[in-house]
Amino acid sequence: MKWMHQDVQNYTKAKEYIDSAIMPLIPFSFENDDELSKLAYQHEVMQIFMTQIEKQLKGRVFLLPVYNYLKQNKLEDEYERLETVVNHVNEQPFKHIFLFTFDKKWRKYNSEIDAELIWLPAPQQGDLNQVETQQLVQSQVSEIEDLIKEQWGE
Amino acid sequence: MSEKKNNQVSRRQFLNYTLTGVGGFMGAAVVAPMVGMAVDPLLKADGSDEYEYVMDVDEITTEPQRKTFYIDQQDGWYDTEAERTAWIYRDENGDILALSPICTHLGCVVDWETGDHDNEFYCPCHYGRYDKNGVNIPGTPPEGPLHAYEYRIEDGRLYLGRANPREGA
Repeated sequence: MKWMHQDVQNYTKAKEYIDSAIMPLIPFSFENDDELSKLAYQHEVMQIFMTQIEKQLKGRVFLLPVYNYLKQNKLEDEYERLETVVNHVNEQPFKHIFLFTFDKKWRKYNSEIDAELIWLPAPQQGDLNQVETQQLVQSQVSEIEDLIKEQWGE
Repeated sequence: MSEKKNNQVSRRQFLNYTLTGVGGFMGAAVVAPMVGMAVDPLLKADGSDEYEYVMDVDEITTEPQRKTFYIDQQDGWYDTEAERTAWIYRDENGDILALSPICTHLGCVVDWETGDHDNEFYCPCHYGRYDKNGVNIPGTPPEGPLHAYEYRIEDGRLYLGRANPREGA
């Protein structure tokens, strides 16, 4: 399910089945020109990951809106804000919350946060219109999918 | 003289007739495109009856094969190329079956023979199961069989249209 009018209506009718929330954590910043293309590319890949996973597991997964933040912000403050969001989602209730990020700074909060924080290695920049890149992305999507299914099985 | 006048069209009448006539045409010229634009969406054929080539008929086996194809989809604001997937095979009567992989429960993507689910379609989300004909197995969450694509065969090539719900077993 997505954060969209039609999907939300389906969600309210089938809450007991949709027990997992996924949310990407995506930084942005205009501070450094060299970094712009890197961050934008990561944003693009993450969006593909999320939409593909939502498509495959639509009936059990709710894709939340992106958690955006400024890359240069102090992570302690950012963590507080994220915690509020996670707690709110937990109360809904969702049984599983998966947070996905390419930003390794988050890893130190792995044990503190009341969610499954999944850090993915940042992808090499490539042309997303090329078949090889698409295959690479697709294989990663299936691995993320397996990871989610494993959590369900526990 | 007065009799003669009765048969004649006066200058005033002549001008009235011609101006009404010309004015009418001019008015129509302005209004017609507007009406046309207003009803335009009704006149456009919807694209859902289009068929896409998917595979050759002689490649179809009794084992379901997963095929991907693309259709042009008008989605409110966007014209996009949407990806569709179908499981294609011949059933025990030799009839071609092209099933949509979208679980009829809540829309996850089902897979053929995953894990220990031999000869079944299986949904990973809430463990829904369908037999080989795509009919939901009672006692699992799905409430209807997998949708089947309309198909058409031309020159030994299989074309798929839209997927429709089927009657339950």
